[in-house]
Amino acid sequence: MVKLSSSDGREFVVAKEVACQSVLIKNMLEDLGEDSDAPIPLPNVSGPVLEKVIEYATHHKDDAPPPPEDDSKNITKSSEDIEEWDKEFINVDQGTLFEIILAANYLDMKGLLDLGCKTVANMIKGKTVEEIRKTFNIVNDFTPEEEEQIRKENEWCEDR
Amino acid sequence: MTDANQAWEELRPGVDRILNKWEEGIHPNEYMTLYTTTYNYCTNSRSTSTDHRAEQKGANLIGGELYAELKRHLEQHLQSITDQGASHMDDSLLVFFTKNWTKFTVSAATLNHIFGYLNRHWVKREIDEGHKTIYEIYILALVSWRDHLFQRLQEKVIKAVLKTIAKQRNGETIDTGLIKTVVESYVSIGLDENDSRKSTLEIYKTYFEAPFIEATEAYYKAESEIFITQNPITEYMKKAEARLKEEEKRVEMYLNPATQKGLITTCESALVKNHTTAIQDEFQTLLDNDRLEDLSRMYGLLCRVPDGLDRLRTIFEAHVRKQGLHAVEKVAESAAAAAAAAAAGTATPPNERGDDDEEDEAPKKKPASAAKKAAGADSAEIDPKLYVDSLLLVHKKYAELVQTAFRGESGFVASLDKACREFVNRNVVCKSSSSKSPELLARYCDSLLRKTSKMAEDNEFEDVLNSVMTVFKYVEDKDVFQKFYSNYLAKRLVNGTSSSDDGETSMLTKLKDACGHEYTNKLQRMFTDMGVSKDLNDSFKEQMERTHEKDDLIDFGVLVLNTSSWPFQPPKSGLNIPDDLLKTYERFQRFYQNKHSGRKLTWLFQFCKGELKTNYTRASKTGYTFQVSTYQMAVLLMYNSATSYALDELLGTTGIGKEVLVPTVGLLVKAKVLSMEGGSSPSAPGVRFVLNEDFKSKKVRINLNLPIKTEQKAESSETHRTIEEDRKLLIQAAIVRVMKTRKTLKHVTLVSEVLTQLQSRFKPQVPDIKKCIDILLEKEYIERADGSKDTYNYVA
Repeated sequence: MVKLSSSDGREFVVAKEVACQSVLIKNMLEDLGEDSDAPIPLPNVSGPVLEKVIEYATHHKDDAPPPPEDDSKNITKSSEDIEEWDKEFINVDQGTLFEIILAANYLDMKGLLDLGCKTVANMIKGKTVEEIRKTFNIVNDFTPEEEEQIRKENEWCEDR
Repeated sequence: MTDANQAWEELRPGVDRILNKWEEGIHPNEYMTLYTTTYNYCTNSRSTSTDHRAEQKGANLIGGELYAELKRHLEQHLQSITDQGASHMDDSLLVFFTKNWTKFTVSAATLNHIFGYLNRHWVKREIDEGHKTIYEIYILALVSWRDHLFQRLQEKVIKAVLKTIAKQRNGETIDTGLIKTVVESYVSIGLDENDSRKSTLEIYKTYFEAPFIEATEAYYKAESEIFITQNPITEYMKKAEARLKEEEKRVEMYLNPATQKGLITTCESALVKNHTTAIQDEFQTLLDNDRLEDLSRMYGLLCRVPDGLDRLRTIFEAHVRKQGLHAVEKVAESAAAAAAAAAAGTATPPNERGDDDEEDEAPKKKPASAAKKAAGADSAEIDPKLYVDSLLLVHKKYAELVQTAFRGESGFVASLDKACREFVNRNVVCKSSSSKSPELLARYCDSLLRKTSKMAEDNEFEDVLNSVMTVFKYVEDKDVFQKFYSNYLAKRLVNGTSSSDDGETSMLTKLKDACGHEYTNKLQRMFTDMGVSKDLNDSFKEQMERTHEKDDLIDFGVLVLNTSSWPFQPPKSGLNIPDDLLKTYERFQRFYQNKHSGRKLTWLFQFCKGELKTNYTRASKTGYTFQVSTYQMAVLLMYNSATSYALDELLGTTGIGKEVLVPTVGLLVKAKVLSMEGGSSPSAPGVRFVLNEDFKSKKVRINLNLPIKTEQKAESSETHRTIEEDRKLLIQAAIVRVMKTRKTLKHVTLVSEVLTQLQSRFKPQVPDIKKCIDILLEKEYIERADGSKDTYNYVA
């Protein structure tokens, strides 16, 4: 078992193969040897987020390891092919979603990072600029001239 | 202070601890702090990222400055290690080098993880964009090692390594682990220029393998030159073999497998190739003394170098041929000696059993003088078994040698075959005629397949037949063998002396396998005739029993044989069929003509035999049974009407020619069935042949039907004559076949084509072919082409 400690000092005890879903933790355990009982501090992950991450890692602990970079290059990635469980898991408020993405990047968990990014992509898909601004709470800081210029440049990809 | 400076200052103590004090361990907290610092630096330094690249290429990645700091630090670290290493030499240098290498690579692996975020984003982007001088952190460490430590120390390191290996070759114990680690480090830092994630053996090949091979060559060149002058070749070969094994093991122990080929080639060249001639010179001596192990070793060494074996094969072939000829000479000598001893006088009494033809010949020889003894081999009868066995013995011995010492190598197999073909076909026994070998072989087969042979085990019998086939394979005149074999087979079948059908069939199958269906065709048909005759006899007997009284019949059996398949000639002598047999003779003649009208039956009385029962002898009341030939029967039946005849009376009544009758009667006189009165020579005037009523014998059945010696002798030369004639026909047939397909052909080409066609049967002499061409020209099968002396046309 491995002890993980979140930024707010909460400790989580998880099975080694669950913890090793994070390449960061896996590398560290290999580098330092396995006999250390000391908790592993994760200063960039808060307790609630770490809890979600562990939930994900526990569910996916038996997954086959992802194929090496070179082999997966040719596979077309789609934001549609999300498993049912994952869809349910990632159905959270926007703030938590972004925190999960950051944590996945920090911990080097490719599967979880992909899931987060796909989810964001799906939130953007099929929306007008205004709708996207609304969804992500973005203030339009373009002048009308700038906006016209951009629209012209991107005319070719407009969906008519 | 920039963000990068600040981050590096935070990281530096940790990096130092990882590089220098790894063995003290790193706390997870520290590990995580280092990673997080890198992560935060790379993700949070928004303020400095407002350069133009950001707008052009999307997200800007931070890390270049940190990478540079780390690179500089690694270089400094390695410089200081290199400075320490300068004071070390030889063994201590190897210890220093390997210790630092191991430590450094472990540290580098950890740094690679600590800076994992840098690897994943900034480094990855740089590499993707084609920056060849940016590496993942672990590779960066290796490159730094190569450029800053390795370059300065490698010359001293390889010197130390070579010194250590030389020590081991001299028999000292060394720490092979050190060299193994050095090799691993050389392999690890061989990086592919185009893709730093892949490795090449370039560094290893250039800085390790090349000097290593050079040193090896020098070492073995020196060693082998001294050793070979101070020791016998056999010892040298042992040494060389051991050295080669040792070097192969060296590769396994601590070198890269890629070195195997170059190293072994170098050793082979220094240890074997440079001394090829000296080693080959020893071959004959080893052969003479049957030094199997040394021969095997020599093969093992010389097969490693190109052309190393050619000379051995030549010597081997000559040696086997010599051994074969020698063995045959011995057989010939012993036969000549036996002949001389027998002829010299009384040593061997004339053999009366008469069933062993070859022994009977001996007494006929004139006394051999010392001068004639040398030529005795020609005339003395060779024991076929002895002859074949001695051929086989030589073949077996050297076939085994080829299989074991020369590992069945095809070149040696070919040499063996060539040598065997030579001594089987051209030896002292064959001096007078090359067809002697097949004749003796056929006779040996006959003795094996006849009833008298004592072959207990079936397996053993098969082995003997197989060994016969071994010799057969080498016989060139296969047609001669075929002729003699068919003669002997015919006699076995007619006389019912074949030991077993299985044996005959097995031999026949072997011949068919070796020479094809055509070769055994006639032999096969002989067996068919035997079967047909059996049915014929049965139906004849059945018909006779239906149509005649039992008292009127005699026990009668006949073999009807196809003239074209059987090597028999019609009898030379006439015969008046005795009255007692005449009825049966005519009945069968009628019976057969009824069945197959138009077929001509020729009665071969010279092969017929019968049994007579006596009722005149005073010594035995029950009488004797004589097994006799038809001729003897005709003579003896005459004594039913009178008890004394002159030769002329016998000739007149029986109708048998004199040259046959005299020896026939002679046998009866010798067996004391008849007695000769009034003279000592059968043909002398006034001599009468009287029935001996006092005939006495311990046996109840007496075989009087013994072969007549002059017949056998004639038969053998007769066979040779027919072979000559058959060959002429075969050559002519071949010529016609060739001409028919080619229409026009030059003389030389025609001769060579005929030679190839007939190769499997016998080796025709070129003058014979010429003669046959002349015959065919005369018969107008072919003609000379107009205006050309040496070209022929086929005449359709």
